[in-house]
Amino acid sequence: MVGHGMTGMLGEDGIHVDMNHLKKGEVNLGTSIMAINFNGGVILGADSRTTTGAYIANRVTDKLTQVHDTIWCCRSGSAADTQAVADIVSYHLNMYSIVNNEAPSTQVAAALFQELCYENKDMLSAGIIIAGYDPKHGGQVYSIPLGGSLHKQPYSIGGSGSTYIYGYCDKHWKEDMTEQEGIDFVRGALQEAIKWDGSSGGVIRLVVLTSQGAQRHLYLPDNGYTGPGVTN
Amino acid sequence: MTGFDFSNYNRNAALHAKGVPLPKATSTGTTIVGCIYDNGVVIAADTRATSGPIVADKNCEKLHYIAPKIWCAGAGTAADTEFTTALISSNIELHALSTGRPPRVITCMTMLKQHLFRYQGHIGAYLVVAGVDPTGIGLFTVHAHGSTDKLPYVTMGSGSLAAMSVFESMWKPNLDRDGAVALCAEAIKAGIFNDLGSGSNVDVCVIEKDKPTQLLRNYIKPNERGEKERNYRFPKGTTAYLNQKIISKEDMRKYVSVEEASGDPNLMEVDI
Amino acid sequence: MTSIGTGYDLSNSVFSPDGRNFQVEYAVKAVENGGTAIGIRCKDGVVLAVEKIITSKLLKPGSNKRIATVDRHVGIVSAGLVPDGRHFVSRARDEASSWRGVYKGPIPISALSNRLGSYVQAYTLYSSVRPFGVTAIVGGWDSEAELAVDGQVGSGPKSGSGGKVEGAKTGGPGLYMIEPSGLYWGYYGAATGKGRQAAKAELEKLDLSSGTLSLVDGVKEAARIIYVAHEDSKDKEFELEMTWISSLDGPTKGRHEEVPKDLLEEAERAAKRALEGEDEEEDATKGNSNETERMEE
Repeated sequence: MVGHGMTGMLGEDGIHVDMNHLKKGEVNLGTSIMAINFNGGVILGADSRTTTGAYIANRVTDKLTQVHDTIWCCRSGSAADTQAVADIVSYHLNMYSIVNNEAPSTQVAAALFQELCYENKDMLSAGIIIAGYDPKHGGQVYSIPLGGSLHKQPYSIGGSGSTYIYGYCDKHWKEDMTEQEGIDFVRGALQEAIKWDGSSGGVIRLVVLTSQGAQRHLYLPDNGYTGPGVTN
Repeated sequence: MTGFDFSNYNRNAALHAKGVPLPKATSTGTTIVGCIYDNGVVIAADTRATSGPIVADKNCEKLHYIAPKIWCAGAGTAADTEFTTALISSNIELHALSTGRPPRVITCMTMLKQHLFRYQGHIGAYLVVAGVDPTGIGLFTVHAHGSTDKLPYVTMGSGSLAAMSVFESMWKPNLDRDGAVALCAEAIKAGIFNDLGSGSNVDVCVIEKDKPTQLLRNYIKPNERGEKERNYRFPKGTTAYLNQKIISKEDMRKYVSVEEASGDPNLMEVDI
Repeated sequence: MTSIGTGYDLSNSVFSPDGRNFQVEYAVKAVENGGTAIGIRCKDGVVLAVEKIITSKLLKPGSNKRIATVDRHVGIVSAGLVPDGRHFVSRARDEASSWRGVYKGPIPISALSNRLGSYVQAYTLYSSVRPFGVTAIVGGWDSEAELAVDGQVGSGPKSGSGGKVEGAKTGGPGLYMIEPSGLYWGYYGAATGKGRQAAKAELEKLDLSSGTLSLVDGVKEAARIIYVAHEDSKDKEFELEMTWISSLDGPTKGRHEEVPKDLLEEAERAAKRALEGEDEEEDATKGNSNETERMEE
């Protein structure tokens, strides 16, 4: 295809597909994102840097996006694409809860995200992590990487900064952590990702999803990402 | 056929693949900014329009009306900002009429982002959306590809870096109206003086709760063209002459017929 | 039927002056002539049963099924016009399949019934169509297990998901009945067709709302109720068709299946015994009627 949006084109070797090619001047979420399971639910985390080329278009971005009461997602890749996808899923989950008179499960959200990401893979550069809590299933983490496949994981990391923290996460991850252990794990991992990845930076935002609902945390670089902590 | 025609784009891509350099894209320089304050929001813009290296308009308007209390500053392709804001303004008015409520800033922002996302960046509109509605004060940026940001102060366009440096060094929380206007004007001036693509004057729009919106056209004119101290007119007698011969009207009749002009004062006077 | 001849009964989408849609009421008449169909919502599953009147000795017993599987976990039985029932089932399968396409999982029984209700209702609105000549009973089991999204890779933490609430709503039996008007309700026990009055009377005796009746007992009760309901049309031969859906740890593992032959036959034997016993009991009570009356004082 010779045309607009050179995404999904074969590279010189004719094998490797450059799925992450951004259109010229497109806003990019050069990013560090993650979500984990813990013994009370799930925790989502992200840095706050949005870039256009070398310029930081937004240094306090919120990449943790709510699509239902206790279903959230972490966005990486093109800001426009991931916002559009999240908006569409948000609409469908809202309709689902009205029509079926009950909140959608995290599976439903993951299925909707996957359908959009897979069917439109040629047009999208979006790497999304979905994390949600519902009383029946507890906390769940799903990851949808570039091709639109769906992976249920104990924890998931994504974005350009994630490459630097595979070792950190592998070493420090354990199942059935407490909330505080989980928060420290996510914050510690993102701190490393921000340290090593030039495209990640700013503040660390967290969302904790439990039977008590959603709780936001904020950690600032001014004090070495130690606070202020809970913001709602 | 309606819609966009991509044949030139495809031609260029094909030529490019054969080694021909793509035609040099000209970026339309602009500085636009926005800043919220305790009781409202201010947006501002420079007034230079360029086409390539030429200043096409020294005093154009980059602040676009959407609704009485929602305004937009536009950067990027002038035609795209103009028509996109006009389209959304129209749809917002119909929406306000059908709901019987004042339109909301987030509605406007959502309509813009969905419109721009549909065109995958081919509509080159980079916008700052600002306004006041029943839910409060709104300030957003919308990029051509359809992404949006919500921030207390924003800049866009080629002069955005210069303008942002002003905000990052001088912005503080809880500004009042005059503080916000002064800060925005200062940010635009930074664009005018330091960015080649921006220039001429500062336009400001102040949208405040429970007050009519004020459009301060040419709020600052830092590039006023001064009165010329000299001109190219020369006083009579500047040129010396050696002799003089006067030919009267009567003398002319010998050679040509001369018609007397009627007494109508509207007729052009002809100097002889 | 004083309305006949007034013209208000000739078309759908035309109300009679007192606000009735006669076409729908005629559709209900078609249902009332159909073989009795029932559904029972038990604590660990759902039973569907239907009385199939044998219209010809040439029909092969065991073929000509009247209870259809819509999705792995849902079955539908209907009373009334059989071809209408088949079309209805076809639509139900489309809805179940479309749900899987979007949500990558089985459709909840409530959602399926809602969609079918809307579909049937649409056939009461237009003059170009007639309403469905069936009342359908939808029975199924919403999985109590954590369901994976179709096509997902991996299964999350080995320790399982954290933060689950004990006793949170986790699936269970579902039983709905949809009428020709599009009206539908959820039931503990549902009955339609010719013998519905007798069947309903029997269902009410079962105390289904207490949620204590087991699925195997439900199968036996269902067989008995169909036999009881058949009493009023004894002159005709009939065949009993029964299906069931159990919980995941039950005999059908959450699937909609035919009741196994041996259990079906056992249930039929018990049903016949109960009917004979009932007759004897009736005779006995008649004999001692005075005594019982005295005892009540």
